[in-house]
Amino acid sequence: MAVLSQLVDNVVANSFELDRPLMHLGRHPDCEIRIDEISVSAHHAVIEVEQNAYLDGAVDYYITDSASTNGTFINDIRLNGRQRLNSNDLIRIGWNLFRFIDEDENALEKTAYILEE
Amino acid sequence: MSLFAAGLTDIGTRRSSNQDTLACTVSPEGDHALAVIADGMGGYRGGEIASRVVVEALMDALTPVLARTPAAQVPERIQTAITLAAERLEDTRRGRPELDRMGTTVVLAWVQQQRTWLAHLGDSRGYLLRDGSLCQLTRDHTVAQRMVDDGSISPDEVARLPFRNVLTQALGATAEPRATVTELALQAGDRLLLCSDGLTDALPEPNWLPLLGRWPVLDDQVRGLVDASLRNQADDNVSVVMIQYC
Repeated sequence: MAVLSQLVDNVVANSFELDRPLMHLGRHPDCEIRIDEISVSAHHAVIEVEQNAYLDGAVDYYITDSASTNGTFINDIRLNGRQRLNSNDLIRIGWNLFRFIDEDENALEKTAYILEE
Repeated sequence: MSLFAAGLTDIGTRRSSNQDTLACTVSPEGDHALAVIADGMGGYRGGEIASRVVVEALMDALTPVLARTPAAQVPERIQTAITLAAERLEDTRRGRPELDRMGTTVVLAWVQQQRTWLAHLGDSRGYLLRDGSLCQLTRDHTVAQRMVDDGSISPDEVARLPFRNVLTQALGATAEPRATVTELALQAGDRLLLCSDGLTDALPEPNWLPLLGRWPVLDDQVRGLVDASLRNQADDNVSVVMIQYC
């Protein structure tokens, strides 16, 4: 299962397991990942967790900004639309930094292979 | 009209073996041409064997009939040869468990005067260079391409996808693999380019045309692309075939 680790001065201050199909990030108390900080919108972004439609066992994590005031950034590029997260991506929510870690991704074979029919 | 062909394969900068195989031939009259690139996989020996067996099978089956096949029968001829190549691969694998996972991509160009058929399985590609522009003629048989097609990811995200190398089709995985065949009409001055993913991974497509413009001779153009990919530390085997229609 993937986690979102909040970084403060490059140290993990908090970790959130991405264990539900839909997880909201924001300042509002009903957000599964609540970030109580002034630069974060009430409902700032969402992460969707989906089984990959073509590759058995692979799970995709997609992030979408929810029209936040201060934006969502992936590896310093402002998020525009929906984007798949890759392990070690750096996510900035307002002024808050997170590292997306997906240990299962590292177990995937890196060399080319063919899907069996 | 005249056809010219040139091809080159290189081990790249990191691999210990070259698992790509290529072949190309032009008829003595210069009006027919056949070119194939296969990019093998499945272990050190398996990948080498798979690509070699498949290229030899395709060339054996198609070269003798290249100049005497009616246009309407070309796609069927190609598919029959693909099926034969898959059978040869299966025969080679039999009784050799170390070759269990071997397989190969294939991209093939059949040029018959102005008409061309491109067939492919996997992520080896075919391109058309015409009037100073580059057009990809094949669509990769990969999980990544399917995700692009269904809108899950953008083309820019493919390079970062951890399973970008997973193929949905190739020779070696299915009993009766079916190639995707594309037909097009050539114009004077057109060039076809076939390549393995070693080129596309190491050398972004926008770099190709400026590079190719440096050399008038086809052999030098092919060499120029391969050399540029090596300068970029191509970590996979790199293979390129070009066919020019004059």
